Amino acid sequence: MSPNPPNPQDKLTPEPKLTTTSTPSQMIAATNKVPDWNPNSKGNVRGQDKTYSPDKKWIGKNYQTPDLMAKVLGQAKYAEDFRAEGMLFCKLLLSPVPHGRVRGFDLTKALAMPGVKAIITADDVPPIADSLTDNGTVIKASKWGERALTNEPVYHGEPILAVAAVDEWTAAMAIEAITVDIEPLPFVVDPLDSLRPGGPNPRTDGNVWARPETPKAVPGQPPPRPPDPIVTQMKWSDEDFKTFQDGKLPLAKAPETWEYGDLEAGFKKADLILDETFQTADVSHICLEPRTAMAYWQNGKVYVHSGTQSTAQTLPAIGRWLHMDVKDVVFISEYTGGGFGSKITGGVTMIIPALLSKKANAPVMMRLTREEETLVGRARPAIIGRCKIGFTKDGRITAVDYYSLCNGGSYDAQNDGGSSARIISLLYTAPAMRWRGVSAITNTPPRAAMSAPGGLQGIAIFDPFLSKAARKLGLDQVAIRNINAPEGKALIGPAVNGKRPYVTSCFLKDALAKGAEQFQWSKRVSLPKRSATKARGIGVAISTYNAGSVGFDGLIVITPEGKFNIHCGIGNLGTENFSDVNRVVAETLDMDWNDINIIWGNTSKHLPYSCVSGGSQTTNAMTRAALAVAQECKKQLQEVAAKTHGGSPESHKVSRGRVGGMTYAEAAQAAIKLGGKYDGHEVDPGLNRVTKTSAAAVAGTGLVAAAKDNFAHDGAYMSYAAQFAEVEVDLETGKYHVTDFLTYADVGTVMHPRALGGQVLGRTTLGIAHAISQKWVFDPNYGIMVAKRMYQNRPPTILDVPVDMQWSALDTPDPESPIGARGIGEPPVGGGAAAILSALADAVGDDVFQRAPVNSDTILLSLENKKPMQHPLMAHI
Amino acid sequence: MGSIVEWATNPWGQSVPIHIGWVMIWVCAFSAIAFAVVHALYLAVFGKPKVFAVNDTPEMVNSIPEKVVRHGAVARAFHWIMATSMFTLLFTAFLPKVGVKFDWVTYHWIAGLVFTASIIFHIIHASFFLDFWAIWPDRTDVRDAFRRMQRFFGKPAPLPARFSKYPLENKLYHSTILITGLTAIFTGLFMMKRVNTHNIFTRNPYLFGDMTWGLMYVMHGLVGVSLIALVFVHVYFGIRPEKREITRTMIQGWMHKEFFLEEHDPARWRPGKDTDTPLTPPSEVPGD
Amino acid sequence: MAVIRDVMPNFDLVQPASLADARKLLDSDPDNVWLMAGGLDSFDWLKDRIRKPKTVVDLTGIDEMRGVRAWNDGIEIGPLTTLTDVVNDPMVKAKYSILSQAAELVASPQIRNQGTIGGNVSQDTRCWYYRSGWPCYRAGGNLCYADTPVGRNREHAILDAQRCVAVSPSDSAPALIALDAKFVISTKNGEKTIDAQDYFLGPAIDITHMTILKPGDILTAIRIPGTWANSKFYFEKIRDRNVWDFPLMNIAAAMKMSGNTITDARMAVAGAAARPWRLTDVEAQIKGKTADEATGKAAGELAVKDAVPLQFNAYKIPLMKNLVKRAISGVQEATWEA
Repeated sequence: MSPNPPNPQDKLTPEPKLTTTSTPSQMIAATNKVPDWNPNSKGNVRGQDKTYSPDKKWIGKNYQTPDLMAKVLGQAKYAEDFRAEGMLFCKLLLSPVPHGRVRGFDLTKALAMPGVKAIITADDVPPIADSLTDNGTVIKASKWGERALTNEPVYHGEPILAVAAVDEWTAAMAIEAITVDIEPLPFVVDPLDSLRPGGPNPRTDGNVWARPETPKAVPGQPPPRPPDPIVTQMKWSDEDFKTFQDGKLPLAKAPETWEYGDLEAGFKKADLILDETFQTADVSHICLEPRTAMAYWQNGKVYVHSGTQSTAQTLPAIGRWLHMDVKDVVFISEYTGGGFGSKITGGVTMIIPALLSKKANAPVMMRLTREEETLVGRARPAIIGRCKIGFTKDGRITAVDYYSLCNGGSYDAQNDGGSSARIISLLYTAPAMRWRGVSAITNTPPRAAMSAPGGLQGIAIFDPFLSKAARKLGLDQVAIRNINAPEGKALIGPAVNGKRPYVTSCFLKDALAKGAEQFQWSKRVSLPKRSATKARGIGVAISTYNAGSVGFDGLIVITPEGKFNIHCGIGNLGTENFSDVNRVVAETLDMDWNDINIIWGNTSKHLPYSCVSGGSQTTNAMTRAALAVAQECKKQLQEVAAKTHGGSPESHKVSRGRVGGMTYAEAAQAAIKLGGKYDGHEVDPGLNRVTKTSAAAVAGTGLVAAAKDNFAHDGAYMSYAAQFAEVEVDLETGKYHVTDFLTYADVGTVMHPRALGGQVLGRTTLGIAHAISQKWVFDPNYGIMVAKRMYQNRPPTILDVPVDMQWSALDTPDPESPIGARGIGEPPVGGGAAAILSALADAVGDDVFQRAPVNSDTILLSLENKKPMQHPLMAHI
Repeated sequence: MGSIVEWATNPWGQSVPIHIGWVMIWVCAFSAIAFAVVHALYLAVFGKPKVFAVNDTPEMVNSIPEKVVRHGAVARAFHWIMATSMFTLLFTAFLPKVGVKFDWVTYHWIAGLVFTASIIFHIIHASFFLDFWAIWPDRTDVRDAFRRMQRFFGKPAPLPARFSKYPLENKLYHSTILITGLTAIFTGLFMMKRVNTHNIFTRNPYLFGDMTWGLMYVMHGLVGVSLIALVFVHVYFGIRPEKREITRTMIQGWMHKEFFLEEHDPARWRPGKDTDTPLTPPSEVPGD
Repeated sequence: MAVIRDVMPNFDLVQPASLADARKLLDSDPDNVWLMAGGLDSFDWLKDRIRKPKTVVDLTGIDEMRGVRAWNDGIEIGPLTTLTDVVNDPMVKAKYSILSQAAELVASPQIRNQGTIGGNVSQDTRCWYYRSGWPCYRAGGNLCYADTPVGRNREHAILDAQRCVAVSPSDSAPALIALDAKFVISTKNGEKTIDAQDYFLGPAIDITHMTILKPGDILTAIRIPGTWANSKFYFEKIRDRNVWDFPLMNIAAAMKMSGNTITDARMAVAGAAARPWRLTDVEAQIKGKTADEATGKAAGELAVKDAVPLQFNAYKIPLMKNLVKRAISGVQEATWEA
């Protein structure tokens, strides 16, 4: 605390801004004034006001993306907007039980109804094919894998059969006319219930995922792939459960573990040891566009319209689900209403209309309702984390012993636990760390990656413990993070082949310092915290997540008419990077951006192999690929010019749509004449087979440049954020408001400031959602979700975040990428939650909540009883 | 609404019974009224005095007191406590279903507990302190029932003996009440696990599956509506003029000697001074 | 027969243009008619196919049941007046600001534009078990799924629960009770007028209905007398999100003051019981007392005297206590202390 009282001249927020009696209009008025941000302050430049890459023409500049007008004018066609002649509508019969076995159906009444055209059940769904990795390894389809329809539903709401009819109304009536005979089987929705001695198993063969040991490498052979996880049964003892009543996660046996450093020595060195348990919530992705899909067949090819996070990579997924060759599949997805990890390669349900369409011999549209989306869509797994952390008295972490229990839902082993440990190991640079983890199976909807899978949980669980330690040690919150934050090529995760991997770069300390200055942290620290009925708290968090990958392809075609087409396989899920990354092409070829035509969202238009827009990798991976193909294109243009007009290729300058004296049209015509590598008939054999197929399809249509990102890199790409929050709690009602928030990001080179700001604030809000409101509620007796509508799941609204929410970014290029840009979709999510949780603890004390989201009920009751009043280990309350 | 059992879809989509169709209230009520009307008309138009085989010895006649005690004070107290709780149960159960809205649940389960306690008392009392067998039909009852039947249809048959302490109809009624009452009690006690009894019972609404619970509610409802009819018929007989002597026994405890000798066979029922103490076991009736 | 939700079922839609026409419709077949105003409650039930009426009567074409007009010394609000129109009405704002405040805190702007004041007071409870179509007491079944040892009941009742623990979700109802509003109901036997709080039913009396409306009844007017115009008002709503949320609890109070002494008061909360819960004991206790912290505290204690918490809603007890206190003595906004 500052020994001097704050200067009244620059006092921050001396009065509470809001009361719970405020009406929405008062609330907007209260948060819309900007008293706390002094634009003249040196460190106080908002992200949107900064200048990025002053030496660049297109990179770092705001612009209008090619999909924008269609979206604003309502002309953009999402899957649901398509119509085809004779199109039928489909409705699903969802499992009424959380786990059961279908013994039979009575479909006679439904099939006899006029307008009902076809019904498919699990027996009509082909088994999922094995998949092939890029290096030709066959990955066996898991016997526990999810199929589009099932005869053994493992969660309430799992699709059992589908009806196609002339309209949804008829299809719904047909569903109601169907009798399904289902034998209910044992089920569990709370992972701890399944781990109890004699607890029910969510699957007939077990309750947790375990990964068999990786076979030993054979010298001279490539290292063997780690085997896929298998379902196995694991029960803990009553002895293990002894800590349950005290709200501490039992530290019983775990199928997965890793460790580095000397844990024991680390704890011995510690001046303070915390042992804390915290639970995050299961949270649906709540994409505005549900997993709606439309499909039809033409001349043996199936055409599928649906949303995705990767146009290029959804194609093979559909092929695998339908057991078809990808050449017979066309996937159309120009616009996707959000993915957040739930639609990485679309969703397996999209084959339902395809199968129905085949059976009914007519196009079929499957629109999912919000409730269906909540059930068959995906969600983030809840994690209960228990951490033992050693600190020196100056706040440096000496050792971390972290145990995670992940509610992995009904399908697929979820790696959120391992991922959370990996993130913790990087973010707090513990010299010694052990992780033990359980990926439990429950009869709840399937989980999938959700914006910072593991990152959100790890940071939301762990970062607030730093706040607690700082309070115990009398340290500043920013200082304790600064002393533990990674820097440069920081180490991440456990050792691989005897050596711990490291990241490409990290300037988080810089972001933390600049953010603290912009947030006026030191001033806020010195402000009073309590009024008669209110408490104010400030919180800071550091955050990180994956932000790049390498090795993808680009494809450019310059037509003989002079059209410059960039073929793009990136999914357009609203992040705008299907367009942003291609600014690199304009920059490299010194072109006018408006002369560039991006072809995206339809695999019949021959798209190259692109990354999935997950793991925040697109900006990094695809700027690299864009640069590779732009350089290839430039090289080809110059060679074509040299071959046509003589001189060295370098002597023909590529600029403003011309190469030397040639227009692009002339160059393309010349390229076709030259053939070979200039018109796509010969391509780099290192290209992915998807790109090769596409290049072959466009070969001869112009100058065809295809290239793979072979740029060097060293380390794992991660982006970072330093995040600051202020909350104000009404102690008489428990209601609180987030009054200020700043995210200061380290994302490498800024490509598109406006899109970046949208991502930073949007994903911060997603993080805040996990702290303040969003959750699932299940009835454990029936294993059925009871809070399944949007208003019951409570995603935050615009009035739940400060109107004047702030962002900024460093714009320090990543040294391991030629463009220097990294992703940002996920890195701010964890800190978004953690900063709020820390601010809340700052306001109301450390012993008020042990789970998120934190609502007025928790705060009020815990304050009243002077201890956390919600059991931290119980699921879905 | 028109069905005997009301079905619902439980959270797992299974069809389960939830309670009786409330129309059954009216079905039972009207059946009982119809029975009473038909019975009353029949007696008024075709009714003939009952005839019995009588062979009392004067010693026997003389040994009968002027006031024959049939129900002791304790038995009468039980009857009226039980009756009060039964009426409370019926009114609290069914009035709200037919539109008279009030807060009924607490009264209902408290009355249910009183009813249960009174029945438990009655079972003990009747088993150990009264003539336990007096209320159960014996061979003579069966034989006489057959004889009465034959005579009713105009066939020749010997005269039936007079009744023991309870006429056969009375005994059968008691058996029916016993079955319905015990069913109501057993289902009702389980149902106490479902409602908030302020910790008299620990709540466990999931003690049984939905189907079992549903059947329990249906059984409770069915015996409930049956009791509407049974109680109505009971009251109807209670107020019939020819049953005045019997009704009196439940109020004052005794009946007149004349009535006793008219309808009851001293060989089958030898009333003592206090019928709350057990008498001799039923004896075979002479005359065969 | 399998269950499917979220698809509108088939029904006959009738759109009467006058109350008389609606009356005629209702008199002919009261049991098979579903009355719909803004549709925000109705469409949920219909789309979930839990309620499948033969006929839906859309009342919104009846102009005579819309708008705010002067009535004696007070006002009359047509039940079809949208919440937005209630919020913005100059008469409401000038004399009954508590109602405009309450109405503005309902849900979201979009919902207020569509939802009506009549619908807001007549809407069914939002208990997620009941709304999921489970055969609970309120749905005519034999169990309250929320009030079981494992039931999820954070948003459920602490007062007046009798088997069913659902709560009244209305924001405007407590304000109307505080204003001593009268509800006018058209029945097949003519018109009747009742006090606002008598419009609502608790589960002990009728476990399957939230209001006294019987098949064939229409709420035709809400009348607010002048008695409580411009008295000292207090309205507060606590919800999880700052917009688009039902109240965890709300409170409405109207107090007549003589200096700082309360001469008369009316107070009601929603979110505590199945009906908007009028605090008559509190009203009686605070009469003649000074509107200060001590009075507020004592009133808060009295208000929750009979409260019975469920597993997850015990916070509603201190919440209600504090809301009652604040309604009387106001929110203490002392300066921030170091």
